[in-house]
Amino acid sequence: MAETMVKSPAIEVSFIDEVCSIPGGEAIRSCIQCGMCTGSCPTASRWDYPPRKAIAMVRAGLRKELLSSNSMWFCASCYTCTVRCPRDIKPADIMHALEVLAIRDGLSTKRSRTPVMYKCFVDSAKGNGRVYELGMMLKFFLRTNPFAALKMAPVGLGLFLHKRLPLKPNRIKGVGELKAILNEAKALGGAK
Amino acid sequence: MKYYSYFPGCSAEAAASPLGLSVLPVAKELDMDLAELEDWNCCGSTPFGSVDKLAAACMAARNLALAEKRGFDLVTPCSNCFVVLHSANTQLKELPRLREQVDKALAVAKLKYSGGVRVRHLAEVLYTDITPEVIGAKVTKPLKGLKVAPYYGCQLVRPNGFDDPEFPHSLDELVASLGADAVSWELKARCCGSSLVMSEPDVALELINKLLRNAQENGAQCLVTPCPLCHINLDVYQSQVNSKFKTKYNLPVLFLTQLIGVALGIPADALALSRNVVSPMRVLAPYL
Amino acid sequence: MEPKIGVYICHCGTNIAGTVDVEAVTEFARQLPFVTVARNYTYMCSDPGQDLIRQDIKELGLNRIVVAACSPLMHERTYRRVCQESGLNPYLFEMANIREHCSWVTEDREAATEKAKALVSAAVRRVYYQEPLETKEVPVNPNTLVVGGGIAGIQAALEIAGAKHKVYLVEREPSIGGHMSQLDKTFPTLDCSACILTPKMSDVGSHPYIELMSYSEVAEVSGYVGNFKAKIKKKARYVDVDKCTGCGECTNACPVEVPNEFDLGLGQRKAIYRPFPQAVPNVFAIDKRGYPPCRVACPAGVNAQGYVALISQGKFKEALEVLRRTMPFAGVCGRVCTHPCESECERGKVDEPVSIRSLKRFMADYELSVGREKATPIERTKEDKVAVIGSGPAGLGCAYDLIREGYPVTVFEAAPQGGGLLRWGIPEYRLPKKVLDNEISYVEELGVEIKTNTPVKNLEEIFNQGYQAIFLATGAGISQKMGIPREDAKGVIHALDFLKQAGLGIKVDLGERVAVIGGGNAAVDAARVAKRLGAKEVSIVYRRSRAEMPAVSTEVDEAEREGVKLHILAAPVRVLAKDDRVTAIQCIRMELGEPDASGRRRPVPIEGSEFDMDVDSVIMAIGQGVDKAMLPQELEYTGGGTLVVDPVTLQTNIEGVFAGGDVVSGPADVIAAVAAGKEVAISIDRYLRGVDLKEGRPTPIKRVKEVSKEGVEAKARQAMPRLDPEKRGGFAEVELGFDEKAAIDEAKRCLNCGVCSECMECIKACEPEAINQEMEDEYEEIEVGNIIIATGYDAFDPSPLYHYGYGRLDNVITSLEFERMINASGPTAGEVLLKDGSHPRTVGIIHCVGSRDEKYHEYCSQVCCMYSMKFGHLIREHVPGAQVTEFYIDLRCVGKAFEEFYNRVLDEGTIFVRGRPGEVTDLAESPEEEGKLIIIGEDTLIGRQRRIPVDMVVLSTALEPRADAEEVARLFSISRSADGFFLEKHPKLDPVATMSDGIFVVGCCQSPKDIPHSVAQASAAAARALAMISAGSIEIEAATAVVDEELCSGCKICSDLCPFHAISFDEEKKVSRINDALCKGCGVCVAACPSGAITGRHFTVDELMAEIEGALV
Repeated sequence: MAETMVKSPAIEVSFIDEVCSIPGGEAIRSCIQCGMCTGSCPTASRWDYPPRKAIAMVRAGLRKELLSSNSMWFCASCYTCTVRCPRDIKPADIMHALEVLAIRDGLSTKRSRTPVMYKCFVDSAKGNGRVYELGMMLKFFLRTNPFAALKMAPVGLGLFLHKRLPLKPNRIKGVGELKAILNEAKALGGAK
Repeated sequence: MKYYSYFPGCSAEAAASPLGLSVLPVAKELDMDLAELEDWNCCGSTPFGSVDKLAAACMAARNLALAEKRGFDLVTPCSNCFVVLHSANTQLKELPRLREQVDKALAVAKLKYSGGVRVRHLAEVLYTDITPEVIGAKVTKPLKGLKVAPYYGCQLVRPNGFDDPEFPHSLDELVASLGADAVSWELKARCCGSSLVMSEPDVALELINKLLRNAQENGAQCLVTPCPLCHINLDVYQSQVNSKFKTKYNLPVLFLTQLIGVALGIPADALALSRNVVSPMRVLAPYL
Repeated sequence: MEPKIGVYICHCGTNIAGTVDVEAVTEFARQLPFVTVARNYTYMCSDPGQDLIRQDIKELGLNRIVVAACSPLMHERTYRRVCQESGLNPYLFEMANIREHCSWVTEDREAATEKAKALVSAAVRRVYYQEPLETKEVPVNPNTLVVGGGIAGIQAALEIAGAKHKVYLVEREPSIGGHMSQLDKTFPTLDCSACILTPKMSDVGSHPYIELMSYSEVAEVSGYVGNFKAKIKKKARYVDVDKCTGCGECTNACPVEVPNEFDLGLGQRKAIYRPFPQAVPNVFAIDKRGYPPCRVACPAGVNAQGYVALISQGKFKEALEVLRRTMPFAGVCGRVCTHPCESECERGKVDEPVSIRSLKRFMADYELSVGREKATPIERTKEDKVAVIGSGPAGLGCAYDLIREGYPVTVFEAAPQGGGLLRWGIPEYRLPKKVLDNEISYVEELGVEIKTNTPVKNLEEIFNQGYQAIFLATGAGISQKMGIPREDAKGVIHALDFLKQAGLGIKVDLGERVAVIGGGNAAVDAARVAKRLGAKEVSIVYRRSRAEMPAVSTEVDEAEREGVKLHILAAPVRVLAKDDRVTAIQCIRMELGEPDASGRRRPVPIEGSEFDMDVDSVIMAIGQGVDKAMLPQELEYTGGGTLVVDPVTLQTNIEGVFAGGDVVSGPADVIAAVAAGKEVAISIDRYLRGVDLKEGRPTPIKRVKEVSKEGVEAKARQAMPRLDPEKRGGFAEVELGFDEKAAIDEAKRCLNCGVCSECMECIKACEPEAINQEMEDEYEEIEVGNIIIATGYDAFDPSPLYHYGYGRLDNVITSLEFERMINASGPTAGEVLLKDGSHPRTVGIIHCVGSRDEKYHEYCSQVCCMYSMKFGHLIREHVPGAQVTEFYIDLRCVGKAFEEFYNRVLDEGTIFVRGRPGEVTDLAESPEEEGKLIIIGEDTLIGRQRRIPVDMVVLSTALEPRADAEEVARLFSISRSADGFFLEKHPKLDPVATMSDGIFVVGCCQSPKDIPHSVAQASAAAARALAMISAGSIEIEAATAVVDEELCSGCKICSDLCPFHAISFDEEKKVSRINDALCKGCGVCVAACPSGAITGRHFTVDELMAEIEGALV
């Protein structure tokens, strides 16, 4: 995120078209850069580029710089930006679209653990048809920082003691059917 | 009797099991037929939509297709499932290309979704279909004197909510119908950090701390929320907040259905009150 | 003559030719029947294009012309003129729109060309049938109506009046001036708004050519350009505009204060007011909204708001005068009234009702404490004598009203003293005799003669004594029996007898244990008197629940406090006696069953639940009846034993004999009796004057519709001081009454529902006698040639933007509120103040609130950037050293000297942060933020979120269309654009005209704009109106409808439907006839005529059928 002059090789002008083509990213062109989204965001102080700026970077074509930043991964999907946006462009959905692009191109940052958590979640849901929380949590902590798991141990214990952490996954009957659907979706090459 | 298809969501079976357990006896008391959608799968939640849009749409669409066969409104008690299913439902109507792709994928499992399902949140159904008046009329143990902070969280009211997205009032009315005092507090529909509590605990714990402080400063004896994620953050992580910020919160957090259940005279066991990490027994004792 | 048609196809540059193959269309046109020539040209509307047509008409002898080009709205007039100049009737011309209908709606060249051909074919076939028509000229009325007296309306009016043409300026508020009169300084020159506006306002006020109709609204508009008729509703102002000198004495006298809307509720004004000191006309108006609920609820119609308002101002004597306009019993009703007024009091919806009854009592107490002057006897202006029989509240209430009408009235009373049940039925501790005596004396002093010890049995005798009318108000004084065994035993006494004896000081031996049967006021009174007479144990036995006891509930409370026991849900079955003396009473327990006719649940005995109460005496208080023995026999009675009267007039079956009060209603409360007496007074007055007794009765009452409770803070009613229960041995009064301070504080809780309280103090104060409280709305019809609409804008209400905290957080205010605050004549006299009265050190101004936001208004409100910067300058001027931060999205400083002003405020130190803030909160996160408002937003120029603590937040709110813009649009038949403002005829070339000829829109009702633009528009519209006036006449459409009198069946369907009232009926020939000058050619009558007698000229069946056929070829 160095503040240097933006020169042509860093600019990918088709970036905005790409975002527009992802469900949820369509309205990005209407942004008037008023800053309402950033002003309303409960986590904006953590973002490399807060939402308004991220949108400006999409327009500027700063694709790699934005997609490899930690920005959108701090979106907690509270949708405050979305209900306040005076242009009705749904900034939260745009952030989700950026996340899709970052993961697809392997650009997602290591400075946030959210991408890994999301992937663990998706794997768990795909494997069983429903999320297996204990399995997902263990996998996530192993992949990120096993020591952080220690810090979270009291939480896990609390859940366990209050019968809120089943030790076995809950697998649906139609898990095979679900996998077939998702494989077909994959074969179709993702949303267009 | 009112009829619905019921989508519990993964949490209601696990980390938010007090929700899953308390919904059914309350529904019975309120003459609601909540028939669980057979062999439902994870809605996809936010992570799917952030990883692969088409796969996410397929996850939601399989559930919608199953619900369409049954033909009633699809009701979920989970705010995240609500937003995800509701948004997918809208997108499938508005984006023909996405719809075409999803149709192809669903066809592999001989499923089809034609857009005929209405996705609703349980809290909205309680407020709109059942209504606070009717619930109030069925109260046998009025929660007189109990100061409850209704916590709406985000996804119940944003972006597809049935209530004011900034300063909603429906839970306040439901709480009042039970005889309790609904505490007015500024942050009642502000973010708890959601699943960031796992990946970015610092961010989430700070938000949770703000919520607990604002509720407590306004005199709340407990909070009530319909959302499993909010509940986990406020209830299960309350001890983490206490150790990180040197605070001494001891604020029970109840699921909306638990609070309604108490007022309807449903026994504590049936409402899984013992599964709440911050024990609500102290504040609820006079009403049990 | 053989038709020779010329067809001309316009390229409109590439507008048409870019999409439509004009050559192909031309070639196609050449083949159409009767087409002599077809040409195309780049710009047919240009001079060379027009010349082509002229030349062909001349050289080829064309007698029909078709032009295929743009919309007829653009150029139909142009080509008609070309035809006319070439000697061709302009109605032998037809236009085909191949631009808006072809080239502009598709990119498909082939389809566009095909459609263009079809339209040309349609026009050619149609023009074949067209006939020459003659246009007519009508005179233009030289008067102009200007609607709205803001700066735009003022300017337009002055321009036209300056040319010595009459202007009617209609303004709905009491003064002209509009929003501009609310502003302090104006950007960018910073000249004082009032200083530049007031000279213009006073010019309007005194201009010989301007008729200012303030406090008026346009109710109806009819007619057409040059000849409009408008009906103006002149709202009742209650002040004569010609007599009022604007001295303001009335406001000093007025006791009613309400939030001042001119100051956005930041300050107060009186019920009689003028919005601001420089008002034009400089005339006051009374804000009267109907009867307040208390007054409506009172059976006697006592004006409670009137006296409460005066008490709140410490005008106790004047307050009592208000009450005495209705009835004489302040002290009595102030103590014993059941106060239905309080149940309806709107204040009760906020916290508790105003203690109206106690305030009424206070007025009487106050008068007694300072000493009452003897009342001046009223002159008898009438000769017919009236006899009132019975001196209770009904009788005296009637006598009071009649004596004030000038009738000689005599009251006949059987008892030794006047007052009826007030004297004998209500114990001293509740209603001291001296209070009653005082009020009876007052009535006597006015001239009412009360003959005591004079029972009347024979009405004939009274008539024989020369009385012309009689009012029977003898009450219901006989105790009813219960009908249980041994009710006649010694020790059983009836409540009324008991209370009367006690009142007269006759000793009654009750023993130690007393049971009182009943739940009404008589029962509670009897119990409390028994206690005072020394009974040790007093119990009230009542068969329903406590909540259903008819007695005043505070009286029941007091009884309990004094040691009276309540046995509810119990009923006596028999009296047990030994040696004919009561020993006990046997009761049975009751439970509540199904509701009965009264809506109360019927008490049902529980079998086998009998129990005995040992008592020494029993007081029966189960009801009273009418003593028939005391009344003449010829009267008619109901089954319930009361007198039969006409429900409206209260006349009995004997002419000239009226009855009211308990003798008619059965036992009821004091105020109902007074009300009956008053009603009878009206009947007797009418009877004696020989006027119909029933006509117009009861008079309809206009109850106030809505009562605003905005900003009313909860405040409990004043507690009534009471005598200590321990000190209540004797008959000293228990309720002690309010002192002056308590009374004033209590009276100030009144919400002044009707606004004007009709206390009439203003009338006393007004020397020129300009006030007329009876004024009514008036309508005036005016005739004008042009109408200029300048109705202005509403300020956006930012409450829906919850996150900005308006209405929720103190010190978040709107821009208009700030304008009033900073104005020297505003509510804070120009001081910028926080709620706590201190000056803000830091102020944040948020731009674009409600503007540039799809949720509210998508448009930019155009003036906010500049006025916000002006605020920045003014704040620093008023609070030296104050720090101002402006939060903006884009700064739009696009007027003359605007950029320079921006530079100026930058230099002065106002800070600009680019970014629309997310929210305003008072939740501090650091010590510096404590007690502040924190604006959270992104500083987009540094790309970071910031929290900026300030003392005050000003929201620069949008300008939006008036709330009633839709009604106004409908009234004048004009349109609104998507943003809700009135639609101009053309956004660039005709920005002040509308699609309705002769109607113009100027100022902010057309779109948000600043003062110079409003003024410029107003002058432009004035010029347009003057042009028409100066021309003296206008051409009107020749395409009107015509009736074939042979075919007309005289059914008149057409005349009922015509929206322009253009069709009249010839009664002689029995046919309808259309006035060409009024007909607009709309065609409604053509379609409606069942016999096909009406033809629309230029839209004949032949023409339309040919056009359709042509299009389908």
